[in-house]
Amino acid sequence: MSNWERLVWNQRGLLLQGLAVTVEICAIAFAMAIVGGLVLCLVRLHVRPLRPAAIALIEFFRATPIFVQLMWVNYVWPELFGWPNSFFTSGWVALGLQSSGYLAETFRAGIEAVPKGHREAGYSVGMSPFQVYRRIVLPETLLTVAPSIVNQFTVIVKSSTLVSVITVPDLMLQAMKLVNIWYEPIEVLTATAAIYIGVVFLVSTAGKALADFQRRRFGLNAT
Amino acid sequence: MSEALIDALNPALFWEYRLVLLRGLAFNAYVFFAAATVALVVGLAAALLRVNRAWPFRMLGTLHVEVFRNAPDYIMVIWVHFVLPLLLGKLIGQRIEFSPFVSAVIALGFVYSGYFAETFRAGIQSIPQGHLDAGRACGMGETAILWRIVLPQVVRRMLPEAVNQFVSLFKATTIVSLIAVPDLMYQVSMVTQQEMRPLPLYTGAAVTYFVVIYVVAGSVRGLSERWRNKIYA
Amino acid sequence: MDAVPAIRVVDLRKSFGALEVLRGVSFDVHRGSVVSMIGASGSGKSTLLRCINRLERPSAGEVFIDGEPMGGPVTASGERKERPLKDINRMRRDLGMVFQQFNLWPHMTVIGNVIEAPLRVRRMSRKDAIQLAEECLARVHLSEKGKEYPARLSGGQMQRVAIARALAMQPKAMLFDEPTSSLDPELTDEVLTVMRELAADGTTMIVVTHEMAFARDASDRVLFLHNGQIEEEGPPDQVFGQPRSERCRQFLSKKLQ
Repeated sequence: MSNWERLVWNQRGLLLQGLAVTVEICAIAFAMAIVGGLVLCLVRLHVRPLRPAAIALIEFFRATPIFVQLMWVNYVWPELFGWPNSFFTSGWVALGLQSSGYLAETFRAGIEAVPKGHREAGYSVGMSPFQVYRRIVLPETLLTVAPSIVNQFTVIVKSSTLVSVITVPDLMLQAMKLVNIWYEPIEVLTATAAIYIGVVFLVSTAGKALADFQRRRFGLNAT
Repeated sequence: MSEALIDALNPALFWEYRLVLLRGLAFNAYVFFAAATVALVVGLAAALLRVNRAWPFRMLGTLHVEVFRNAPDYIMVIWVHFVLPLLLGKLIGQRIEFSPFVSAVIALGFVYSGYFAETFRAGIQSIPQGHLDAGRACGMGETAILWRIVLPQVVRRMLPEAVNQFVSLFKATTIVSLIAVPDLMYQVSMVTQQEMRPLPLYTGAAVTYFVVIYVVAGSVRGLSERWRNKIYA
Repeated sequence: MDAVPAIRVVDLRKSFGALEVLRGVSFDVHRGSVVSMIGASGSGKSTLLRCINRLERPSAGEVFIDGEPMGGPVTASGERKERPLKDINRMRRDLGMVFQQFNLWPHMTVIGNVIEAPLRVRRMSRKDAIQLAEECLARVHLSEKGKEYPARLSGGQMQRVAIARALAMQPKAMLFDEPTSSLDPELTDEVLTVMRELAADGTTMIVVTHEMAFARDASDRVLFLHNGQIEEEGPPDQVFGQPRSERCRQFLSKKLQ
């Protein structure tokens, strides 16, 4: 019986369980990042009095290392706000905060890249500013930034390995557990690294395919 | 809640341990500079492979880029620290071990070499063929063309993106505490265990990293912009 | 001819900072007539057109659509009340605009571009809007392209879709802002043909253009703008045949070489 079979294949249930947790926490963080990023971006662009606060948050999320943020959310927030009440929640909150800062800037770049003429064409057929925003500016922005959003998901997956540090039972944690049982790290860690690289590769390839599709279908260049 | 807030923002404890923490921050800088050197050298090599005329070289370069760009920093740090010495040991028939510092530098250096390789490649490919032809027409050798004509332009072109990657690399150095490199985060967790007061310490760490990264990245971006403008003006 | 012109422009002025782009322009466009506006670049033609549907706010002067002032009615006490945006939007519906850069919305299909305003602004039912859009696309000879996205079309086709989009609001007048200037020469004819057909159907049109042949053959009046003022105006025979102004003569001789 080879080591690969004993240490990796026979433990696949555990590893897949971990992968499922990774996917779950990344998906929640991703949803939070999209909503949070859009809100931060719209506040920054359109809510004058809250603008400095939005900029400060965006810059803070972007300039603080994810590991530091994770520790901060995990250890400081519960005492400060009485929340998050589980490691899992701390994990996706920290991942989501970080990416919402980046996505806020992505959305802003996308909104600013909508040609003025596209808005004017809306006004010239009598659309109201709100209609122009909702029907033209935002959909066009979402289309142009879609590949960048997918790309941000790869960042979340990569960063998600760190939630194992606060004992969220993701793929990384399950792998470390196996290593600690037998002290034979070669196969387990190599397989785990390969799984992560494979997943991130698939997602980033999907992002590239999306960007290509857009260029062909809509003539848009990703920002 | 207000008490907690005051505690969180109270820098006294952070100040008390300032020397230890500062020494920790210095370790972040060491790891950063060493890993950045590795990343630049390996990245340039991979980029040259990717623009090579022979397809096996191109494949190798692409494989390097795809593996390291898609690899999470943390798993690579762990893999290099725990697996690579065993593999090398089997190869040379001798037990070896990496110090945490060496593992951190190799892992981060190789992960970021993937990003730098792409930046270098984009820079190299943005240089018009005519510039190379002009060099050859003057009788310059391929090495001279690379060093005197291609790289100086590449560096200027890739600077803004490279600065972003340096910032990412610096941020990534915070995870080396997880294999016990005594950086700022490591010291913070040590002090936290002693004092049992994570609130001011982790807030202090977050603020310190934010200030360092924001200020340094901002000024480096500004300087590199000015330098580029001067040259392209 | 009607007593009330479809569009009346009275002493329109526009400055951008210290730069005076329009220095008092007045003219009428009667229902069913085609007015071409020619002049060198920078003479204020495009700004004038954009002031007419208030994409730019004029610094002074007024535009009347069917006798109704676009900027705001004057009260009995002689005060002018600025019109709220909602009213301006309502009046804009009566002016179809065609841009130099087409400005089709890239995320909508051709038919999506054309039905957008009828659906959202005029609140037509989807069925009626689609029927109307199909009629408009037929008028620009693009019936078969409804399901394509704009990126798949040639420049000439895009501009014809933009014309259909403007027609779908069934406007009282159409404004064309250099509709063929960003097209390759071989694609301008298909757009000009559509415009000639619209003109022949009795559409009220203001056309800013560099196409002298179109201005001469297809319009009822030609305005030559210079430095933000109308330097010469009249029927095409007169403006092209015996221009009174020296500048207009120079401009035309250069253009017609």
